[in-house]
Amino acid sequence: MESATAGRRVEPFDYQAAPVVVRPDIAEAHRKAWQRLARAGNWWSGAERIAIAAEMRGARTCSVCRDRKAALSPAAVDREHESCTDLPKPAIDAIHRMSTDPGRLTKAWYESKLETGLTPEQYVEIVGVVVTVISVDTFHLALGLPLEPLPEPVPGEPTRYRPPGATQEGAWVPTIPSDRLTEAEADIYHGSRGFYVIRAMSLVPDEVRMLDTLSKAHYLPHKQVGDPASSGNRAISRPQIELLAARVSAVNQCFY
Amino acid sequence: MLLRASGSIQSGGVDVAVVRDAEAADQSGVPHADALIAFADAVITNDESGTSAARTQLRDDLGAEALVDASAVVANFQRMNRIADATGIPLDRPMRSITAELQTQLDLDGFVSAGNTPRMNPVSKAIGRLLLPIALVGLRAFKALTGRGKGHSNSTIESS
Repeated sequence: MESATAGRRVEPFDYQAAPVVVRPDIAEAHRKAWQRLARAGNWWSGAERIAIAAEMRGARTCSVCRDRKAALSPAAVDREHESCTDLPKPAIDAIHRMSTDPGRLTKAWYESKLETGLTPEQYVEIVGVVVTVISVDTFHLALGLPLEPLPEPVPGEPTRYRPPGATQEGAWVPTIPSDRLTEAEADIYHGSRGFYVIRAMSLVPDEVRMLDTLSKAHYLPHKQVGDPASSGNRAISRPQIELLAARVSAVNQCFY
Repeated sequence: MLLRASGSIQSGGVDVAVVRDAEAADQSGVPHADALIAFADAVITNDESGTSAARTQLRDDLGAEALVDASAVVANFQRMNRIADATGIPLDRPMRSITAELQTQLDLDGFVSAGNTPRMNPVSKAIGRLLLPIALVGLRAFKALTGRGKGHSNSTIESS
């Protein structure tokens, strides 16, 4: 988990050289994200998870993604992505589309990924890896910092654990209603009913835990989210935080 | 919803039109909305030169700590948007009613991802219109009782 820089070993996310002071809790959350990224998940090995992350980064310069984003309909561009890994084609399309044009994904498109070989469990873990890396990378790009090198994968096999309570609710993917949580994932909603956006990745419970780790540092601790008077001791006010949140969502055309 | 609620408590109300119309930033009621929006837009559209300029502006206006916190929030919602849109989740049932007016005002129904949430009937929309002001009044009462949300300690913001 360490990388060599100019002859010295440094921890990942060493923000000492950053032009601004990065809060320690953000650096710590990013380190946890990279540790988790490198390990085998429920459905993908560590090496495959790193490949998903690399593919997500490659999507930023994929000409197919660029042309699709500019087209009136994504279906207007029918070429294969410029890929940098040997992941299965439906996985590559899923990674590129959710990275570069998430606002125009449809249920029919999701179902086409299942028809061509992905399982819902594999798909949800791809979502988890993509959103982890895109958020950490966005933080770096926003501050003008170089992207953190991806970690070396840790050997190991996926657990293939599928939560028994997962069922088809209102989302495309199976999720776990709060009253169907079993002991193994009893912690993931913090005892609450769990809004859909928290339940969304519950088919792979560790991705919900990763979401919580990052959200606490990037946004607000879980208990403060629902209190609009709380700014979490940030240097911007809660209305400023929510303005950024709403604006990002609008530009990404996210209805939720 | 949280923008309107927090603005009601901390900024004396906000005009949410700014969410879709960057030119409405000056009238939004959110301090430094123009700098925040320019920054968010540049970052998420991968506009490197625009991001550099917006970063400098935000740092000059609000300070380095605020720049870090704003970067983190933008990063957070790059993540949350993709979780929502890639898994096809619908809007949670209570929020559908309460935010119905907001959806119309901001023309959110035109988004492709709006199709993941069942359409509401006119009665539910009407109930939502009634509930929203009640919810905001409740939040203000909560603030008055607890003394919380009196504003922000950042002097740059208070002086805005």
